[in-house]
Amino acid sequence: MKKKVIVACGGAVATSTIAANKVVELCKNNGIDVEICQCRISEIASNLPADLIVTTSNVRRDYGIPLIKGMPFISGMGVEKTEANILKVLNK
Amino acid sequence: MTGFLNGAYFVINYIIDMGASVMLPIIIAILSIILGVKVGKAIRAGLMIGVGFVGMGLIVDMMNANMGPAAQAMANRLGVSLSIVEVGWPGMSGVTWGSIVATIAIPLAIAVNLIMFALKLTKTINIDIWNVWHMAFTGAIAYAVTGNLWIGLLGVVFHAVISYKLGDLWAPLLNDYFGLESLTAPHGTSAYMAPIACLVDAIIEKIPGLNKVNLSIEGLQEKIGVLGEPVVIGGILGTIIGFLAGYGPQEALPLGIKMSAVMVLMPRMIKCIMDGLLPLSERAKEVMHNHFGDDADFYIGLDPAVLLGDPEVVTAGIIFIPITLFIAIIMPGNRILPFGDLATIGFFIAIAVAVHKGNLFRTLISGSCIMAMTIWITNQTVPWTTKLGQSVGAVGANETLAAMDQGGSPLTYIFTQLFTRENMAGLIVIAAIYIVCMVFAVMHSRARQAELDASMDEEY
Repeated sequence: MKKKVIVACGGAVATSTIAANKVVELCKNNGIDVEICQCRISEIASNLPADLIVTTSNVRRDYGIPLIKGMPFISGMGVEKTEANILKVLNK
Repeated sequence: MTGFLNGAYFVINYIIDMGASVMLPIIIAILSIILGVKVGKAIRAGLMIGVGFVGMGLIVDMMNANMGPAAQAMANRLGVSLSIVEVGWPGMSGVTWGSIVATIAIPLAIAVNLIMFALKLTKTINIDIWNVWHMAFTGAIAYAVTGNLWIGLLGVVFHAVISYKLGDLWAPLLNDYFGLESLTAPHGTSAYMAPIACLVDAIIEKIPGLNKVNLSIEGLQEKIGVLGEPVVIGGILGTIIGFLAGYGPQEALPLGIKMSAVMVLMPRMIKCIMDGLLPLSERAKEVMHNHFGDDADFYIGLDPAVLLGDPEVVTAGIIFIPITLFIAIIMPGNRILPFGDLATIGFFIAIAVAVHKGNLFRTLISGSCIMAMTIWITNQTVPWTTKLGQSVGAVGANETLAAMDQGGSPLTYIFTQLFTRENMAGLIVIAAIYIVCMVFAVMHSRARQAELDASMDEEY
């Protein structure tokens, strides 16, 4: 089944593009069919429902679905752990 | 030798004359290949940048063609002076990437960073190539205005040096307030505007009574729902301006829809430019990481977008939409109608929020000062940003281009004014205010680092 992932950042231009590319690559390598929705943080609610939210900033609001911080994709530190967490959610 | 130089000069000029949408793809593709990106991928990256540039031109044209006359009509009817619609950071970043200075700025900014780090002048390592556009902007403006490429490159170096120092200054605050350890956001509007918040914070701290005030609005984003989304802001603002311009519903409503379109489509177009820069920026990141390893003592410089999810930043960003419009209306002689940056005012105030430790009352005061200063400077830089827009072919001969994000930057203003000396009074006043704010910023940063160290000691 196709999974929908919302990738959000402040402006929907720079950091979310990096994170979205990483999520697509990760899913491709693990045989997960994924649909990416790239938007601003303020637009997350309107793009629900989805299976997972990945944000490149600290979002503390509860959207009722798993939310993973994609900061490691930007900083390059702790990428493997983040990837494992994403796979855990999407492989459910 | 002269023959070769003349030949090279001819080729470079020939390419530049084809315009930014051709020049950029070629340069970025070549640069990517040099840095080890595969040829096919590099060509695709170059083309995406061209696509982003063409797309941005379409949107800016549409906005100028529709919103321009409406703002003008509104200004005439109401007797207000707000006749220039600002395009915001998406438009201005796109235009900046179109300048020859921006391409040179990427290696130049990295070189300045490495030299400063090696000389222990900074602890910030910037891995965010996208936001080099802020540094490039200062150079591109100085180049467009003075016509001297060397002054343009000096502008990049000037802005880069200050950015990395700001990165050092804000790292303790980002650690303390946002919980981002060893990370910083050196570039962008919130970094260079936050010194103002440091001054405001110090003043409020000294006023009895006022220093105890705190405001808090829980979950404003949930409450206002879609009202805070760019598509809705654009629609409402476009329609209202249409009516204020004396249009009937038949003209005002289409204007609203078109402005919704600008808000939604502009970032999508600019995203293409980011797509094109991605292979290059990923390579640069790798190089930086390999160079410094994981254990060295440094701050990684990230995009300020990482700060925009914080609830207090989100809340303040929403409240500042009406406040910014209000400041624009009451400021005497102001010609700037805030538009493109309205949906992302967080970029102006994110670090100010950290300066005030999330105290909304103080953020409202310092943020108002920040937006007022921004609008004030933006008014003065309109001829410069317009010249830059025309030089890269993004705006027509009789059109204007303005943006609060970067157009209102004191750094760009001070640097360019030093060479043009059009407005010495403005230069002296803005430079004096900014230098005082910087002194307070240094003191604030030291105090916050001391607090952090103290709390670390307690834990052990």
